[in-house]
Amino acid sequence: MAVILTKLMDKHIIKLKLHMETNNKKTPLYEEHLKLGAKIVGFAGFSMPLYYKSIIEEHLNVRNNSGLFDISHMGEILIKGKDSTKFLEHILTAGIAELKPNNITYSLMLNDNGGIIDDLTVYKFAGNDYMVVTNAVNTDKDFSWISLQKRSFDVDAKNMTDKIGLLSIQGPRSRDIVYPLILNHFRQGHCGLFDFKYAAKPVSELNHFEFSCAKFKYINVPAMISRSGYTGEFGFEIFISSSDIKSLWSYFIKNAALSNLLPVGLGARDTLRFEAALPLYGNELDETITPYDAGLERFLSQTKDFIGKEPLEKVKNKEKKLIFFKLSGKQIPRHLQKILDENLKPIGCVASGTYSPTNKIPIGSAYISDIHTSPASLKNFFIDIRGNFEKAEVINPPFLHRKHRKINKSTNK
Amino acid sequence: MKIQKGSYFAKTHEWISQERDNLYIMGISDFAQSELGDIVYIVLPGIEKTYKKGEKIGEVESVKSVSEIYAPVDLKIAGVNLNLNETPELINSDPYTSGYIAKIELLGAADTLDLMDADSYEAFISTIHD
Repeated sequence: MAVILTKLMDKHIIKLKLHMETNNKKTPLYEEHLKLGAKIVGFAGFSMPLYYKSIIEEHLNVRNNSGLFDISHMGEILIKGKDSTKFLEHILTAGIAELKPNNITYSLMLNDNGGIIDDLTVYKFAGNDYMVVTNAVNTDKDFSWISLQKRSFDVDAKNMTDKIGLLSIQGPRSRDIVYPLILNHFRQGHCGLFDFKYAAKPVSELNHFEFSCAKFKYINVPAMISRSGYTGEFGFEIFISSSDIKSLWSYFIKNAALSNLLPVGLGARDTLRFEAALPLYGNELDETITPYDAGLERFLSQTKDFIGKEPLEKVKNKEKKLIFFKLSGKQIPRHLQKILDENLKPIGCVASGTYSPTNKIPIGSAYISDIHTSPASLKNFFIDIRGNFEKAEVINPPFLHRKHRKINKSTNK
Repeated sequence: MKIQKGSYFAKTHEWISQERDNLYIMGISDFAQSELGDIVYIVLPGIEKTYKKGEKIGEVESVKSVSEIYAPVDLKIAGVNLNLNETPELINSDPYTSGYIAKIELLGAADTLDLMDADSYEAFISTIHD
């Protein structure tokens, strides 16, 4: 692998490290990925499947049928204690006090300057119990930040990442495999590692960003299931203890025919999320980028204070702006390549760039430094792809052309 | 992993195979295409151009990475596989036949080529795979 890297590939444009690092962590499903012939890649300190057979095939199968992802690398931090609601209101941008039990909200966590520490989802159990789901690359950083900030609150924070496994089933046919394999629903009480003090809905009645608890046939322990995902498709995320995730994974693989399910690696996870214009921490988001830069101001609560709110209010002018584009050529834009205006003056750089399997063209996002330029006025601009100036055109995301697809009426994000 | 018997391989994972006399076809190996993943774009070499061994003659781009294609020998490009402009994925599905990259004329003597035969190449890539 190391040889092919140095000999065959142009090193400075390779974003993903293709070689294995021996100190990488493994999810409980690592051996299953190897059995399925996965190409393994180092990501956020974990050895993860990049793809099993083909990024494009896996991507299209999620759009048309269903896909199974191991996302156990993502972090789970449990927040409990008398002040937990007040505490989360303080450190997160989303309204937490109004979040109902068995519901989820998306939120940003900002630093003292209003820069984005992480983007995450918050699961509300009963009164004082929450789970925060973090990006794998940020879990340790988030946990340190939370531990630092909670000192003046009566709050207990536990990093449960190693104890909780996480699967995602995404795609319009996800329900065809999830519903029939469920044995029964837990109404109230302990759901494995979680405590449901309010009645949980049957999984088939969940709306987007609601969650429930159910036991799958032949699996000894219950799992927590949410209607959520990172693909722009109808889908579920399933939390189960690390020691039981392997039997659940195998059970889905064995029943794959129910929904034409294929295992999907991180390669297609990235192309799917990008077509849906969902941000990726490290590309669209980092600590130097504010929610306004990233176009995420709708996730800032207007009715409460939170860390980072005051500095954001002082910022009169945005420093940069996120735009989305498509290319007329075939070369794929890559992270940090330069954006040039029609006079070939550099005006920004690529945040994400990829090939869109749905549209069969290269697409990307970029931060433009001249915030006075409206995206619509950017008529002729170029991406410097290894010295080739490739013409690009601003478009409104998402990049999902659904008109030729069968639209299921309950399909939403 | 398919390794085509009768072909000769470079350490940079290109193969050549004799068609007749001095005329060979070249491509990248099944191992190389599988490391790259789905190929979506190729920059082909120019017809009639000559390249020294080890010189960059083109580029293949997959969803996740870009790789250079090097001349495995001193060569002149006699023709290129224009089908790859529209269907570069032929390199993934059929790297030794319809997914070939170019037809080449050897510029040096065939018996002095510093390339591996199929068995040596198989041994070589097994050292790359941990």
